Amino acid sequence: MEEDIVDYALECAKSKGVEYAEVRAQSQLQERLMLRNGILEAYVSAVDSGFCVRILADGGIGFASTNKWAMEEAKKIADLAFRYAKVANRKDKITFAEEKGVETKWIVGQKEKVEDISPEEKISKFVEINKSLSSCGVNVAATMSSCRMDLTSKYFANSEGSRISSFVPRIAAFIFITVAEQGKTEQASEQFGCSGGWEVFREWNIPEEMIHDAKVLRDVIKKGKTVKPGIMDLICGPEVTGIAAHESCGHPMEADRILGREMSQAGRSFIFKGGPFWIGTRIGSDVVTIVDDPAIEHSYGYYAYDDEGVKARRRYLYKNGIINEFLHNRETAAKLGTRSNASSRSVNYDREAIVRMANTFVVPGEMTEEELIEDVKHGVYMKSFTEWNIDDKRFNQRYVGREAYLIENGELKNPVARPVIETTTLKFWTAADAVSKKVEFDAATCGKGDPSQGMPVYTGGPCIRLRGVYIK
Amino acid sequence: MKDVLNKTEEIVKKAKALGADEVVANTTFGMYRQVRFSNNQVDITLAWDDYVTDVALAWKKRVVATQIRNFHEVDARIKKLLELAKVSKENPMFGGFAKGRFRYQRSKADEKLRDLENPTDYVFEAISGAEKEAGSQIESGGILFTKFEDVYLVSSEGPVGVDNRSAIELSIRVFSQREASGHGVECSSTLKDFKPARAGMKAGEIARLAKNPKAGDEGVYDVIFDPLIFGSSLAVWASMASAFDVMVQRSIFVNKLGQKVAPKIVTLKDNPAAYSLASRVFDDEGVPARENIFIDKGMLKTYLHNTSTAKIFKTETTGNAGLVFPTPWNVEMNPGDMSKEELFEEVKRGLYLTNTWYTRFQNYAKGDFSTIPRDGIFLVEKGEIKRSLKDIRLSDNALSLLNNIAGISKERQHVHWWGEADPSSLSPYVLIKNVHITKSK
Repeated sequence: MEEDIVDYALECAKSKGVEYAEVRAQSQLQERLMLRNGILEAYVSAVDSGFCVRILADGGIGFASTNKWAMEEAKKIADLAFRYAKVANRKDKITFAEEKGVETKWIVGQKEKVEDISPEEKISKFVEINKSLSSCGVNVAATMSSCRMDLTSKYFANSEGSRISSFVPRIAAFIFITVAEQGKTEQASEQFGCSGGWEVFREWNIPEEMIHDAKVLRDVIKKGKTVKPGIMDLICGPEVTGIAAHESCGHPMEADRILGREMSQAGRSFIFKGGPFWIGTRIGSDVVTIVDDPAIEHSYGYYAYDDEGVKARRRYLYKNGIINEFLHNRETAAKLGTRSNASSRSVNYDREAIVRMANTFVVPGEMTEEELIEDVKHGVYMKSFTEWNIDDKRFNQRYVGREAYLIENGELKNPVARPVIETTTLKFWTAADAVSKKVEFDAATCGKGDPSQGMPVYTGGPCIRLRGVYIK
Repeated sequence: MKDVLNKTEEIVKKAKALGADEVVANTTFGMYRQVRFSNNQVDITLAWDDYVTDVALAWKKRVVATQIRNFHEVDARIKKLLELAKVSKENPMFGGFAKGRFRYQRSKADEKLRDLENPTDYVFEAISGAEKEAGSQIESGGILFTKFEDVYLVSSEGPVGVDNRSAIELSIRVFSQREASGHGVECSSTLKDFKPARAGMKAGEIARLAKNPKAGDEGVYDVIFDPLIFGSSLAVWASMASAFDVMVQRSIFVNKLGQKVAPKIVTLKDNPAAYSLASRVFDDEGVPARENIFIDKGMLKTYLHNTSTAKIFKTETTGNAGLVFPTPWNVEMNPGDMSKEELFEEVKRGLYLTNTWYTRFQNYAKGDFSTIPRDGIFLVEKGEIKRSLKDIRLSDNALSLLNNIAGISKERQHVHWWGEADPSSLSPYVLIKNVHITKSK
């Protein structure tokens, strides 16, 4: 990255007498592997590098980006961003919540540098996954796997004096399998992701996890029984707890949704000014505390400063069942009379930074998983999920179990084939009466933004027990 | 223009000189503009210019790819790519890139979309259209997006082509009340055919009708699909027709070639035609893009192929090559013989759905999925809209929906929408029988 060009772009923007200007440059070494049924379809290695200018002028925002590293290009996009800010012609002017300028550097370290690991080793790890699956005693009819490794350097400069450099390596793997037994199929997908060096890949043990999934799918086909629909207890494993925390707590607490800025695409929120839910309103039982925390080292959603140069910190979204704190960038914070809590993220230099989650999870309690199960007379233990979705106000959601078991008198029984919980956010979190003490995380790619910005995040939590919910 | 084509050709020659067996280089100069708006005001206007050459090469059936964004880096990037190919793993199924010289249709891109001076005017045209239908108290939001791409393709296997691709689309969601909304889209490859007020009026009309919704009931319904929501279904079926998706079992069409998968009234094709957002004259291997019927009068006729997948299935490429695997460009459903009104008359008690989001599958091979209707959900009785509903979920099977199509309108609309109705399509109103609806309990 050529910081002199970034600084020049910032000077061009500032010279126009704007209220605020920033330049965000990003350079990313990217590697991608794509395999189909264990065959390497393609290995992609590329460098993407460019910068953007964002300007606040006359209460409007303009944004322009380029991947041409040249002084004249810097001036061109600063001019364009300024012109676009002016055409907004808004009645209510946009302002940004106050922040002080920061000069700092932060990095995520690598014990084993991704760039030092040979392509042969990277490929062999994925071929091994397929080999393990083909000899695990289950008929795995098809697999699709991919890996992405991104070494991302950023340089952020704004008109308030911030100069922030950063470096984050991220590795992610995605595996999709189809098991075919007795003329029927079941499917599962898993995502793995961390920030850090190649050492994180070694810690994952993907073959073991995928073999576990294959056996679960086989058992669902051979031994799985559908549940008799009705009111019962539900134990959610960490994966299910995590997706629920992400979908029905993290998303509705994004202040840009609450204010309507995402109304057309990702939607709004059941939380809105003048509505039945706002800060201080109860949304769950006392045992429900959900946080979003970008500062978990080596997590998939880790960052030390967000893409507006605000220092990252833990956010308590639902606290003991009460709506507590929204996710903010500087624009939404100003609208609601507060300060940004560093939730502004962008996937690349050519995308606007918007309000995003980082690592969203339910805070653990004090019970063991066994203690949660022991106290269930009739219910289902949903360890993982397959289909899921939620409406765009983030209130009506559905999770379909992948690995699930019947619970009778405190004991796990037969696998349950695709149990479904379809309920509201309020009912889901209000039904929680106990939380276990061991938190587990799953990597995920959160979807939001137009054009779409798939954002690396963790979802997670301990096991939670829901009392008296309808399962079908 | 000649200069860029020459530079693209130089990349191919360099890769060949370094030992590559086959090389395709695809240079795109893209100019993209977007206006995002909400609460009837512009939130941000964005411009992003992208200069990139996608290079895919094969060496002894090892396929590698890169992106070059600076022509000064060509030598180093190509050298590194060849080194990568030499330590990569053989893909025994690689069937080579397309061979031969082709004649391409002339691009019909609209030069007016190269750099629009003030795209925000179109946003306000759409909002005005919505206000005409639903009154001035509405809240509206959405995006206006334009693109203009100059594309230069050179393949060591013969194809050489130049294409220009233009598009403009507007998506507007209008709220007449907190829980009453309508969505409209307007999509075109040319400015001449782009009528933003039309999208605003459609969104406004639905938002007006959607006022005072009540929670819907579970059950099995006959459902009229608006072109926008049906565009989501078309996108699902077309993506599942990609040979790659079939091979990894992310498709309901596995082992169904030559079989009946829909009633006779259903003909689906992929066609990156000149009118469409996906307009193009060649695919990423340089094969002329063309119309491909993949479901012909209810029969699954072909999958969508690149050269490699075509060889695996012992057929010809359909001109659907993406950089690595085949992909649909723009889906078309043949029109039916009914009017929209006649379709409604067929419904004694059913639903009219206008948009959806968050479509997720339990099992792609089997087809079980659910999706969440939004923006105007209506109870229809004796052919007429009786009331507005909310909070329902469509929980069904992709193959069953296809099989239960009972009526198709003559009228079709070119639709595309963020994440759901993607790729774009030419979509009619459609009546589907026995659709399963669920809700939260």
